[in-house]
Amino acid sequence: MLVEISKLKLNLGAHAVLRDVNLTLQKGQIYGLLGPNGAGKSTTISVVTGLRAPTSGSVRVLGLDPAADALHLHSRIGVLAEQAGFYDWMSAGDYLLWVARLYQKNLDKPGIARLMGRVGLDGQSPAPIDTYSRGMRQRLGLARALINQPELLILDEPTNGLDPRGRREIHDVLLDLSVNQGVGILLCTHLLDDVDRLCTRIGIIAQGRTLLEGSIADLLSAQRAAVRYRLRVEAGEAAQQLPAEITLLARAGDWWHVEIASHIEPASAWRKLLYSGIRIDEIHREGGGLEELYLAVTEAKEAA
Amino acid sequence: MNPITLIARKEAGELLMSGRGLAWLLALSVIMSVLSLLLVSNTELSLLDNAQVVYMVMGTVTALGALLAVVLGSDAVAGERERGSLMPLLLAPVTPSQIVFGKMGGQVAGWVVMYLLSLPYVWAVGSSGQNLTQAVAYLALFGTPVVLGFGFLGIALSARLRSVRSALLTSLITLMLLASPLLLGPSLRQSAIGKLFDAVNPFSAAVNSFDSVVIDSQPLAMQINRLAISLVWLVLTAVFAIRSVRKMEI
Amino acid sequence: MKKIVVSLLLSLSLLGLGNAWAVDSLNISLAPEQANPPSPQMGDWLKFHSVIENSGSQAAHGVVAWISLVQVDPGHEQPVDLEDWSAHKAVTQAILQPGQQVKVEWPMRLIQAGAYRVVISAVDRETGHVMTSPFVDFQVRRKPVVDSGRILPVALGVPMLVLGMMAWRRYRRRTGV
Repeated sequence: MLVEISKLKLNLGAHAVLRDVNLTLQKGQIYGLLGPNGAGKSTTISVVTGLRAPTSGSVRVLGLDPAADALHLHSRIGVLAEQAGFYDWMSAGDYLLWVARLYQKNLDKPGIARLMGRVGLDGQSPAPIDTYSRGMRQRLGLARALINQPELLILDEPTNGLDPRGRREIHDVLLDLSVNQGVGILLCTHLLDDVDRLCTRIGIIAQGRTLLEGSIADLLSAQRAAVRYRLRVEAGEAAQQLPAEITLLARAGDWWHVEIASHIEPASAWRKLLYSGIRIDEIHREGGGLEELYLAVTEAKEAA
Repeated sequence: MNPITLIARKEAGELLMSGRGLAWLLALSVIMSVLSLLLVSNTELSLLDNAQVVYMVMGTVTALGALLAVVLGSDAVAGERERGSLMPLLLAPVTPSQIVFGKMGGQVAGWVVMYLLSLPYVWAVGSSGQNLTQAVAYLALFGTPVVLGFGFLGIALSARLRSVRSALLTSLITLMLLASPLLLGPSLRQSAIGKLFDAVNPFSAAVNSFDSVVIDSQPLAMQINRLAISLVWLVLTAVFAIRSVRKMEI
Repeated sequence: MKKIVVSLLLSLSLLGLGNAWAVDSLNISLAPEQANPPSPQMGDWLKFHSVIENSGSQAAHGVVAWISLVQVDPGHEQPVDLEDWSAHKAVTQAILQPGQQVKVEWPMRLIQAGAYRVVISAVDRETGHVMTSPFVDFQVRRKPVVDSGRILPVALGVPMLVLGMMAWRRYRRRTGV
């Protein structure tokens, strides 16, 4: 287990910031930590990274107590904070060399160039950081987090400021790290699309409490949440021919609005639809699923 | 390389390689140049002799060094926090003590740069006098603890107040208060309060030593008390800085 | 009435005679010290000696003597403010008996180059007339306070050096060296 948090409480002065946070992250997993602003996500990260000591509860990261063994922990994790700041007067290459030395890593200039290429900053090493765009700074922050080949990567809004292609490239880097190198990734984000694409496990926290934690498939199934799609099909097909997994919500010409139960693999549903003789030209996901689940859970908490 | 050295080198690099740091050095060198040119243009009507000119330059270098130190110190922690670069530093395998010692190393580098910049001016104004060597030595001996003390105070306030503006304002007020003997002149320091203030003020200790050595040619033995005051100031501000950064909240 | 006026005039004239006698009774001498540098320059110290003597037959009360310095360079004649030159600017003597002398030393630090004339003046309480000593002239040579030949290159060179560093930094940023 890379991260194991149980019944975490943290008081800052008289104010209880974290009341009951639980989280487990295994090697090679990407964990999405979700929650509204002020829910306690960043504070949880500060406890995980050893910057704050918990008031009570148990926190183990890479088998270590973060508060007691922060130095050792920091050499084995990589963090991209939400506000990724650098020494803007340095060139990106010099900056990463400096960070590498701080981590006692013997990286040379070609090694830095390779690292930068990996996050999509090929040939940008000599450029001063203050000439970087927001998206480039985000990539540089990711390169910084990867400099010590971490076992655990903690990312706070890593795709902020990136265009769709940039986001896709970062997704690919993270999936490669997780699948091929067994790096565990704790991902804090507001972008459910990122979570949907990357994460196998999520935790939703609000007002300092974990409201829900588990694998996405299990949670969606338990919540009976359904995912909505918009399909363009061949005209004239009858709705009665739909397989049981698919519920037709509305029909407007060639466009069908359908819903699939979240525990059902969408590909198998489309396959059955095709076998039933309905030709599908386009599929668009419209909502439901994780988004519905997130809204349902957080709204219920607010109402309570 | 040791993290302390790495951080200190980064701090020194920020002064010598960043546009902001170089602009500060340019401003300080221009002030020194203007002062020197005023002294040249004042030759005809001068009421000062050479030793007094050297004394004036030494006091000015110390005050400007302290000014640079409080600017760098105030930015050291709060500036990094505001620019978002403090968090990566705290998340690196570096202890808070190593961070503060590195920042202190940056202060030393800043003073060394300022001192080296000032040497040509001291040489130029002091070359016709007899106490030039003493001036160079005493500027190092007294300037170092006084200036570094102000830098360490800036670091401490920067860690505690979490805002560059607040830390800079507080440091500058302290600097102005302690440097007031240089501004007010000797006549206003003759009262009991003035004498007491002078007796415990590190800035006064340095300025009075410059006066004693360069103008009155008095020996080091007569400066021991003043040196002790400067060193106490250095130690107190260093402890304040170390404690402030260690106790710093994210 | 005429008698009263005559006696009043007589009294006043006698009083005037008395005052004139009192003024004339203070003699002041002034001489430079032997050890003074023969050709002093700025920053040197000079010392002058004066003797104030009551040569009359009556005591002089409340005697004040002071030193005055004037610059006498042609075209620059002006009194000098002694503020920076000397802390020893005046002496007082409550009573000076007939025949009594007061010796006074007048040290002085030479602040500015030029030709100067120094004189000691004295006055007592009763007469209000000022008596002066003979004056002493001296010349102060200029000593350069700072060497302008050195300052100019430094004052221009150091900022230029920093500007050079800024230009080098800009060049490095542009070329990515």
